Amino acid sequence: MDFAFSDEQDELRQAVRRVLAAECPVAALRTFDAAAPEQRTTLARARWAVLAELGAPGILVSEPEGGLGLGDVDLVGVFEEAGWAALPEPLMETAGLAAPTLAALLPAPMAAAALHALIEGPATFAVGGIDVTESGPTSPTTVSADGLLCTPRVLGARDATIFLLACQDPDSGWQLHAVPATSCVVEATPALSSTRDMAVVHWPLSADTLLAYGVAAEAVITLLADRAAAGSAAFLIGLADRMITLAADYAKERQQFGRPIGSFQAVKHLLANARVKLEFARPATYRAAWSLATAQPSASHDASMAKAMASDAADLAARTALQVHGAIGYTWECNLHFFMKQTWALTRAWGDAGTHRRLVLPQASRL
Amino acid sequence: MNVVVCVKQIPDPVAPGALDPGTNTLNRSGKLIMDDSDNYGVEMALQLAGGEGDEVTLVSMAPGGETSGLRTGLAMGAAKAILISDEALAGSDALGTAKVLAAAIARANPDLIVMATESTDGYTGTLPVQVAELMGLPSVTFAKAISIEGSTIKVERQTEAGFDEVVCPMPAVVTVTAGVVEPRYPSFKGIMAAKSKPVENLTVADLGLDASQVGSAGSGQEITDVSESEARGSGEIVVDEGDGAQRVVAFLEQLKVI
Repeated sequence: MDFAFSDEQDELRQAVRRVLAAECPVAALRTFDAAAPEQRTTLARARWAVLAELGAPGILVSEPEGGLGLGDVDLVGVFEEAGWAALPEPLMETAGLAAPTLAALLPAPMAAAALHALIEGPATFAVGGIDVTESGPTSPTTVSADGLLCTPRVLGARDATIFLLACQDPDSGWQLHAVPATSCVVEATPALSSTRDMAVVHWPLSADTLLAYGVAAEAVITLLADRAAAGSAAFLIGLADRMITLAADYAKERQQFGRPIGSFQAVKHLLANARVKLEFARPATYRAAWSLATAQPSASHDASMAKAMASDAADLAARTALQVHGAIGYTWECNLHFFMKQTWALTRAWGDAGTHRRLVLPQASRL
Repeated sequence: MNVVVCVKQIPDPVAPGALDPGTNTLNRSGKLIMDDSDNYGVEMALQLAGGEGDEVTLVSMAPGGETSGLRTGLAMGAAKAILISDEALAGSDALGTAKVLAAAIARANPDLIVMATESTDGYTGTLPVQVAELMGLPSVTFAKAISIEGSTIKVERQTEAGFDEVVCPMPAVVTVTAGVVEPRYPSFKGIMAAKSKPVENLTVADLGLDASQVGSAGSGQEITDVSESEARGSGEIVVDEGDGAQRVVAFLEQLKVI
């Protein structure tokens, strides 16, 4: 059996590496970080336009619907590269979550309209209202006094054009809505990563925005949570790889006692341990992508394994990179923080490592 | 319109290059990529041949049947490629390469041939005009803009002072300078489609050339020795003691910059 990626899959990954090296270098992250809100929106839209031109948003959408008809295994390398670059734009939310969710709900008119906006662009999506807990997905969405629904912790809300928002009612169960940003009130909240904004989104409950409800919505949301776990794992693999590379490069350059610090075993071993953990998380992440692509019964389990292992690997990579950099690693001037902060945010999003380990525990204990 | 772009596939500049100790030529045995300077030629050709029925063909000479670099050009939008790969071509000089490319280009019967000004691994910069001469075609170098007017092309040719406007009948060979157009990124769709685009594989015999005219056998040059380039000096550090500006001016005057 051949487990390797195909030449085309490697080409896709390299294409994203080349594009993001030009469009999203660290200098661009610095500019983005320091920019005023309107300028950030302009920068984000320009970068998204390049990704849309590549065809990134529609990778998982079938060719008749205007996409590329590719699968999660093709997408996993793209996400890794986006993680490597610490891409601020909502690639996972749009290409990995919204696109397949909307495509699965066709021919519902609301899903068709939102999918059309995604393919024809430049619609970007934010996804909220789903918390992954050890008892499965639950919704943090509540009803405000003004009658609007209130969804906390929505990533990338500021520049999203369409929100995919979920809510849960004890009687009628889950609902999933595609709400245009124009109908929402976005209340910015402090975010861990300065390149990814976070907000509380207030939105009106309306039949006009309803994508799915009840049992159908529950199935869609369970799959969406699995995709989010697997997609986050791929991003984290890319982030971890970048942080280890930054630290290794620094260790070769920084001199102490007349030698590069990378020549000391104490530093080498730190980096080697981080690399080993990353390389063990990598196949689990690819497995999750394959399981989702081929609709395996183990897809949920595999996505959880990937998220748990990638979160731990990225967390260790961040700590190791910070330690190897020493005091300079804590500074604003050092590039490391862009990658660390996205890592810290993403390891906690869509269920942290502990939650996902507890999710796979029942299956593991049956073995 | 049928446009041919000559594409050089070179060792990835990111990887450290190595010379073959036996021949003192560049080791090309690994994976090759499309020379960055050819991005501009491919983009220019795609823009010129954007009409219905127009077609861009890539032509490349590379060892080992290498197509990795050609796939990049095909992913950008070229329709097909011709690859000449033959052990007899090892050690070719610029003129030998020009003979091979000229014979291959003639098979595509193009209206226009676009090339980069020079490759980024060899820098001879002589190949395009050699191809033009061998094919008996006019050549225009250093194009910064090309437009088609009927059966002629109008080229803005970069000069030190500005640019010349050159009008030239087609078919012709035109070299484009880096940065004249913004090369497109290969789209995902283009990358997936590139695999199924036709690549015609040819040998020296297929082109009707005599093996003694090309490769090291036909080369008019031989690399007899290679030595390390001189390490760059550390430069002179001038401490400003109130006369810094004058010393900078004196230095620039010495260079005849001002």
